[in-house]
Amino acid sequence: MRIGQNPAKSIDYVPQPARVTVALITYIPFLSGYYAQSLEVLKLCLQSLAQDASVPFDLMVFDNASCLEVRNYLLDCQTNGQIQYLVLSDKNVGKGGGWNFIFQAAPGETVAYADSDILFRPGWLSESLAILEAFPQAGMVTARPMRSPEAYYTTTLEWAQQYGGAKGGVELEQGNFIPWEVYLEHVTSLGTSEEQARQWYESRSDWRVKSLGVSAIIGAAHFQFTVRKAAIRPFLPFHMDRPMGQVRTLDEQMNQAGLLRLSTCQPLVKHLGNTLPFVAGGAANGTGLNPSLAAQSPVRGPRRGGAIALQRFYDLPWVKKILLRLYDRIFRLYH
Amino acid sequence: MRIGANPAKAGLPAYVPQELGVALITYIPLLEGYFKNSLEILTYQLQSLRASTTVPFDLLIFDNGSCPEAVAQLKTWQAEQKIDWLVLSKHNLGKAGAWNWIFAAMPNELICYADSDVLFRPGWLEASQAILQAFPQAGMVAAQPNFYDVLEGQGQAQQVLKDQAGYEWREYWPDKAVIDEFCLGIAASPEVAAPFYQKPLPVVVRLSAVHDGNQAVVGASHMQFIIPRAVARQVTPLPATRGLLRTETMALDNRVDQLGFLHLSTTQPYVFHMGNTLNERLLVEVRKVIKQDLAPRAITPTDQPVNRSWLYRGLSWLASQPRCKPRLMRVYNLLFQVLYTERK
Repeated sequence: MRIGQNPAKSIDYVPQPARVTVALITYIPFLSGYYAQSLEVLKLCLQSLAQDASVPFDLMVFDNASCLEVRNYLLDCQTNGQIQYLVLSDKNVGKGGGWNFIFQAAPGETVAYADSDILFRPGWLSESLAILEAFPQAGMVTARPMRSPEAYYTTTLEWAQQYGGAKGGVELEQGNFIPWEVYLEHVTSLGTSEEQARQWYESRSDWRVKSLGVSAIIGAAHFQFTVRKAAIRPFLPFHMDRPMGQVRTLDEQMNQAGLLRLSTCQPLVKHLGNTLPFVAGGAANGTGLNPSLAAQSPVRGPRRGGAIALQRFYDLPWVKKILLRLYDRIFRLYH
Repeated sequence: MRIGANPAKAGLPAYVPQELGVALITYIPLLEGYFKNSLEILTYQLQSLRASTTVPFDLLIFDNGSCPEAVAQLKTWQAEQKIDWLVLSKHNLGKAGAWNWIFAAMPNELICYADSDVLFRPGWLEASQAILQAFPQAGMVAAQPNFYDVLEGQGQAQQVLKDQAGYEWREYWPDKAVIDEFCLGIAASPEVAAPFYQKPLPVVVRLSAVHDGNQAVVGASHMQFIIPRAVARQVTPLPATRGLLRTETMALDNRVDQLGFLHLSTTQPYVFHMGNTLNERLLVEVRKVIKQDLAPRAITPTDQPVNRSWLYRGLSWLASQPRCKPRLMRVYNLLFQVLYTERK
């Protein structure tokens, strides 16, 4: 039975949500193999996020059933106030399930989503918001210039061509607006060789669009983007039955719905992947972040003949296939 | 950079949510005073929920800024896989603020909401679902007869139903035991309780080949109810500026009604409001559901007078005086605000 009045009734003020909710999804099921450095990468991600206080935001983290060490770290961050909303899911509901939760529950009117392996550079959020302001038709804005597949920005291009010129107030240019170093930084973070990257870079060009004095590169990516909740709501819920690999749905839907897919002209976020960035001298990539988070060099020393031969053996397609299957089976056994 | 392939891309299936999702909001800012028994009551609630729910379900707990001890217990339950989704909010967003999360994000087809002091009895889900099936226009179905119609009989959805064929409106007199239990849950004084025994409840009866005779009390409480996801998605965002403000929680009822959905409840009590204190009488009900030996509880002062010192009795008399009570309550609330709530 209730005795006395619930003191909660006397609370005459509850904090109102910030205009922007920054949301991350974490999934680090163990700290070995592919995920050996993922916790350190996550720390770097959150540390870089905390450095830019130019735009107030609430941080929401949706943990998709990570291991205990990662959860404890996130709980510590929640306790010390770095994370405002921490969602611990007992099961991996997939990236789609995480997105469904985030984009429906986030209290901010704008949501800046990022995978948990992203390094944020100063100004990333303010620049993204400036583009959203200057382009009211914008759907998603990524905070680094992207050369994403053309099929996913046909609507953006059509819109820019339609409103281009003095009449429409939109300027559209084609050229090489993404410097080679910026392009290389991203594609190599995905595990692409420099040779392959050079081929891709030389085979394409960029579209740059300008409105109300704000420039943006056409194209966006789903590893990090800022979106108005009202813009993404019609696409929810996403029906994705696998943890990953179906996220292109969002890109397709945005394009089909006539929403613009844009990115900043400067690389204000960096995809870290599953390994820590390395820079000679040990500093964490010139970001001003804690040097203790700098990685050991991923480049190995000179190899002996036996090791080279063994690596070549591992690289044989059929050997690699067997090893990957074994790796996958072990992963499935535990997760 | 990324080295190797992310194993999560290997085609593993993502978890598919259950059809039923149960969501609770917890707010236990301290383990003293009003909240002294809150953690224990929550424990019984979770045990009763598991014992009385016959289908698998996902459990979400939204913690609205509880004290470290309460959060530690929630973390332990989550680690023991007793909670599917644990949301830890740094701030108290208020009840309506937490509802905004729950109703916007719960992925389950059917969402059950309950305050964190509700005992679930066997049959609660079946009885609620039977009403939902018999009355497809239902938006909220509570598993306890509703004694307070917050819409005061003026709900638009009810009026529409009154004009439709296939429904009959009757008066329903609940058993005395049902009213007794309701009054116990809210610690109603004799004056407050009296009208409940003197006035029948309005029920609507479905007349159809399939659902013939299915009946429901008109009105539903905020303490516990089920709401289809499709309805829940339409009611948010609710205004959320205070910890627990009646006009903000009532906004839920108004939205549901404006959307044309009914508030209904069962004719029998399948849930029980435990409140913030435990006494032997309540534990009898708890034992019936969770079938565990719980240590007998000292009978609280509300059940039997306890010998107190003359000083205590004198202060108690003073505190009960109409001129003193509001002032003391103000001090009490002020202390709570100073100690446990955030400032602008």
